[in-house]
Amino acid sequence: MAGSRRRAGRDPLNVGRVLPAVLIAILLGGCSGVQSVLDPAGRDAEVLARLFWWMLGGAVILWVLMNGLLVYVSRIDTRPLSARAAEWLIIGGGIVFPTVVLAGLLSFALSEMPEQRAPGSGLTVSVTGESWWWRVEYLPDGAETPVVSANEIRLPVGRRSEITLNAHRVIHSFWIPALGGKTDMIPGRETRMSLEPTRAGEFRGQCAEFCGESHALMALGAVVMDEDAFAAWLEKEAAPAVPPESDAARRGQAVFNAEGCGACHAVRGTAASGRVGPDLTHVGGRVSLAAGILPMTAEALMRWIRDPEAIKPGAMMPGYDHLSDDDLSALAAYLEGLT
Amino acid sequence: MTDITQSMSRRVLENADDARPEGIYPPTEEMLDEPVDPELRKAQEERLRAVWAEPPGWRYWSAVNNSEVGAWYSLTAFAFMLAAGLLALLMRVQLAVPENDFLSADTFNQFFTMHGSAMMFLFAVPMFEAISILLLPAFLGARDMPFPRLSAYGYWSFLIGGIFVLSSVLFGIAPDSGWFMYPPLATESEGPGSDIWLLGLSFIEVASIAAAVELIVGVIKCRPPGMRINLMPLYAWYVLVVGGMILFAFPPLIAGDFLFEMQRSFDWPFFDPERGGDPLLWQHLFWIFGHPEVYIIFLPSIAIAAMVIPTAARRPIMGYNWIVLSAVGTGFLSFGLWVHHMFTTGLPSLSLGFFSAASEAVVIPTGVQIFAFVATLMVGRVRMIQPMLWIAGAVAIFTAGGLTGIMIALAPFDWQVHDTYFIVAHLHYTLFGGMIFPIIGGVYYFYPFFAKKKMSDRLGRWSFWLTFTGFNLCFLPMHLTGLKGMPRRVFTYPGDIGWDWLNMVSTIGAFVVASGILVFAYDLLRPKSRQPLTERNPWGGGTLEWAHDIPDPGWGSRSVPYITSRYPLWDQPKLLERMDAGRFYIPDAPEGLRETIVTSAVDAVPQHVARITGPAWCTIWAAVFTGGAFIFPTFHMYPPAIVCGILAIACVIYWLWTSTALVPEKPMKDAGLGLRLPTYVSGPRAPGWWGVFITMLGDATAFASLIFGVFFYWTARPDFPPENAVHADPAFAGLAAAAFAASWAATRIARGVNRSGNVLTARLLLGAAPLLGIAGATALVLAVWWPGLEPATHVYPAMMWALVVWTCAHVGAGVIMQGYCLAGSIFGKLTPRYDADLWNTTLFWHFLVVTCLITAAMIGILPRML
Amino acid sequence: MLGPRESSLWHMISAPTIWALHFCVVYGWTASVCARGPDPAAARLGIGIATAVALLGIAVVGWRAWRQWDYLDDYDYEHDGPSVEDRREFLGHAGWLLAIVSAIGVIFVGMPALFIETCL
Repeated sequence: MAGSRRRAGRDPLNVGRVLPAVLIAILLGGCSGVQSVLDPAGRDAEVLARLFWWMLGGAVILWVLMNGLLVYVSRIDTRPLSARAAEWLIIGGGIVFPTVVLAGLLSFALSEMPEQRAPGSGLTVSVTGESWWWRVEYLPDGAETPVVSANEIRLPVGRRSEITLNAHRVIHSFWIPALGGKTDMIPGRETRMSLEPTRAGEFRGQCAEFCGESHALMALGAVVMDEDAFAAWLEKEAAPAVPPESDAARRGQAVFNAEGCGACHAVRGTAASGRVGPDLTHVGGRVSLAAGILPMTAEALMRWIRDPEAIKPGAMMPGYDHLSDDDLSALAAYLEGLT
Repeated sequence: MTDITQSMSRRVLENADDARPEGIYPPTEEMLDEPVDPELRKAQEERLRAVWAEPPGWRYWSAVNNSEVGAWYSLTAFAFMLAAGLLALLMRVQLAVPENDFLSADTFNQFFTMHGSAMMFLFAVPMFEAISILLLPAFLGARDMPFPRLSAYGYWSFLIGGIFVLSSVLFGIAPDSGWFMYPPLATESEGPGSDIWLLGLSFIEVASIAAAVELIVGVIKCRPPGMRINLMPLYAWYVLVVGGMILFAFPPLIAGDFLFEMQRSFDWPFFDPERGGDPLLWQHLFWIFGHPEVYIIFLPSIAIAAMVIPTAARRPIMGYNWIVLSAVGTGFLSFGLWVHHMFTTGLPSLSLGFFSAASEAVVIPTGVQIFAFVATLMVGRVRMIQPMLWIAGAVAIFTAGGLTGIMIALAPFDWQVHDTYFIVAHLHYTLFGGMIFPIIGGVYYFYPFFAKKKMSDRLGRWSFWLTFTGFNLCFLPMHLTGLKGMPRRVFTYPGDIGWDWLNMVSTIGAFVVASGILVFAYDLLRPKSRQPLTERNPWGGGTLEWAHDIPDPGWGSRSVPYITSRYPLWDQPKLLERMDAGRFYIPDAPEGLRETIVTSAVDAVPQHVARITGPAWCTIWAAVFTGGAFIFPTFHMYPPAIVCGILAIACVIYWLWTSTALVPEKPMKDAGLGLRLPTYVSGPRAPGWWGVFITMLGDATAFASLIFGVFFYWTARPDFPPENAVHADPAFAGLAAAAFAASWAATRIARGVNRSGNVLTARLLLGAAPLLGIAGATALVLAVWWPGLEPATHVYPAMMWALVVWTCAHVGAGVIMQGYCLAGSIFGKLTPRYDADLWNTTLFWHFLVVTCLITAAMIGILPRML
Repeated sequence: MLGPRESSLWHMISAPTIWALHFCVVYGWTASVCARGPDPAAARLGIGIATAVALLGIAVVGWRAWRQWDYLDDYDYEHDGPSVEDRREFLGHAGWLLAIVSAIGVIFVGMPALFIETCL
């Protein structure tokens, strides 16, 4: 049992120097972003971001104390300490301290749950997860028929809106980090959540539950608007599509009809009334294309229509690579004009 | 040390019936001091060596001894880990830069599914079982595990299943729905991927449960005399707890797999909402398994730390009782956490609250564990031996993972970070800290035990610092990646959200980790033939595994010692010398049989000398055919699957018939130190009985999961049962219940009358019992078939059919066991005195009759009440 | 198989078993009430009653374990000796500690009923 007291060999890599450098880089990297939990624009996200910073502070202190003690007793001063002190460390550190701290944290979290799941008032937005896009329907208080849209959600600021969630074929999860937590969309069960934006702006959401081949390519634009702007937008969104204005757009509409796009897509106010794919009535007015993965530009529209598979593997929409560039650009002009 | 024998009441054991131990126990100091005749010692060693020798040449692969099987098992699990790690590296390459096209979406999805599945099912759990099979007998001074052929069967099953599942990646047909296999995605998935996952891994789960049964029996029945429950090495406590957890955690998944495969193969709509099913039931069953699984991985690794730390601190562990508390407490609490994987599924806040609370509560026992380690190091005089470095690294990483765990256990915070890279970071911190680091530390620590050589100190330090630095470089930034909104399981991401540089850092870190693991792998596998053997007990440990001799003669313990301390090598002077001399129990093998000593569960009083099985090929054949029975259905080849199933059963029956519960040549034998022990026991004193009892606890859990399913549908679905549903026929259900009860009663009575010597009546009863069982099964099928319940139309008839299929399959096993006992009685293998098989069959039927009666009530009575 | 209390592992784990039963009862009860029942208040009341009963049960178990531990006779808490006495007190000590952790667990699991009033 004697054994010589051996000093540890030299560390081939000095972690003491590498780690802080990484930490600093991360802090400098910043926490902002259109999809960041730490850059909140909603009441729930604000509470949770604040909670995170407090918990992070506590965690860092506890980690340093714990591992500092470990390093101290195993490398710096290896003389035996009293068994009584060690016993109290187990009781105090293992039972008393965590029980108190965890009870406090748990109380806060439990009291926060009903707040964040409070029913919304005024507006209900129904979102259905498809493969791999979002069907969005707005139902303001008292309205009979919903306003149908897709791949983008707009919410009024300063008010809690109700969001009901469904899924068509597989499970998805609806999440806009800047506004609040996520809720799964499950076939056969309607789930619900509510969001209370506090700051107008454009954000990004993304499907968070693995939903098949192109799960990575299922995002959505989230636009938070002032109450009045939102009301005006909704009124416009409810109206039928604007008729094409330029020659190119008119020709594009002819291509749209000739290729049978209306079998899957609806453009309200025209013969196109398909329900399989996203509603295109006001597609040109959205911030992005193909569920948040392409910019809303004519060029992107052409790329998408020519070969959706190349952009979103497994997408239901067939490619239209038999169309001439001319036809494609006309089609793009038509769609872009549907604001 | 004071003479403990003074305080103990020494009794001379009386021969009450011929299966009781007789003679003196515990041994006196004078008896232990008596020298062994050197001639005798040599002769004994000769005989022991012959009995425990490995089979020569190619027959080596028929070995079943724990040291061989354990080594193969660990190396195989390690190889699977390297394969799964390689998949991770390829994924990290794909994610190094935004919008990369190194891997296609489909390939990436197959890779992350296989990475998770392989790490969990082919590495983490098997690794625990492998290491335990390798080490546990040594910790307990036993010669071997209680059922060596079962370990071998488990190993070969694991190897076949693992290669089958992993190789699917090479053909591009691997499962691609995530390691959690959520329906409807996974049930609707085209190609054989989902079936490969379900059937391949079910096969491995069965092997895992078999190993767990064996390990539990090993801990409670194969301890050395005197090693009371308060003196067990902590590793044994953890094995006991983890074995129990496997027993209650894996069966719900097996029940889920059963329902899932029924949907895949026969379109029974358990998870199809269109026909009354519910995808959430799978999530519940999966995570009832999945969360305890995390602790099943973590606790054994902590157990390794609990063995290393006292050696490094050069004193007994502080707070042994506290650690036992925390192991048992964690084991329990870990079953109340599963919904924290489902916080975002929209369950009522109240329900989420329970799971959030339990997830926080489990921090307390886990913390106690870590603090007990720190306390031990405080009180001891620490030497930073190589394994201790890994343990310290483990604590540093694990505490960080634990602290983020506290954060995400709060449901509202989890709503934000769930399914993001924050979780990826958290789980890798807990698994590297709670598994990889302690395991590698354990390999460095125990390498001199099983290889009799030392690994390199220098390479070890290189490996440690590369792995530790690389790990933090890879996973620390992922917390931020997740908070900045990056979801998990994405094969690509846009470049303008601020995730790109974080991912690049993580990818670099991943390669640094890989280099560290490679250094370790090189150090582990490099030829060491020119290196000298180590000295015995090179670290100065206090537990029994270091009593093994160098070089190892294969018998494990030369004689099984009488134990009076938690650290016998530190506290019991002359222990080693007496063990080597063969002064203790069963120092000889005069009958040429492999033997180990069986003791009572709590106080480790010797009860029995168990004859254990030796090398065999039938276990490999049994594993091959079991593999066929699971693998053929993957490709919808049912006839060969059925043939394989029958052959597998035949192999198992052959194996049991030829090598278990054999009538001994004499009822009692001299076990040494004046103690005579029975060579055959039946009922609760026999390890086989415990094996059946523990297996059936797991089986009952699987059945309970199906019953949970029925109630789940009732609460979750308004149309369960649907209005105007066709119900099962209550008369047939009642008839089935009566027949099953009669079959059970016949078996139980047969045991009694056989014992009293009335062999003819026993045979008549054992002849009638299988017929009654078959009649019951027929009536049960008629109960659902006659009224016309169509399982493919709705989940209600499907669930009723599932209960019937489950029950009938078990009755099939019960009938075979009854027939086995009847055959045993006729051919002289089962006599009024030697009736262990009949005891085990009766025990099986105790559980079975409960299953049967509940099934009959569930289909015949309950739906009319809902 | 249960054997006398002082030498039974089954008795040592009775407190966490009560925790597990309590957990199943409150989870099952809440799921049923929220799915099929009329009033969430019934769920909260049920949780309260179950928690009180479970705590009472753990108190009884804990008291017996404390007595079996018999700490005050010799202030020993190591129990690493080879005697029956050591084993008896060890099982008592472990049972007592498990009772404490189980009680904390039961209180935690009952806490949601204090804060959450609806089934939303």
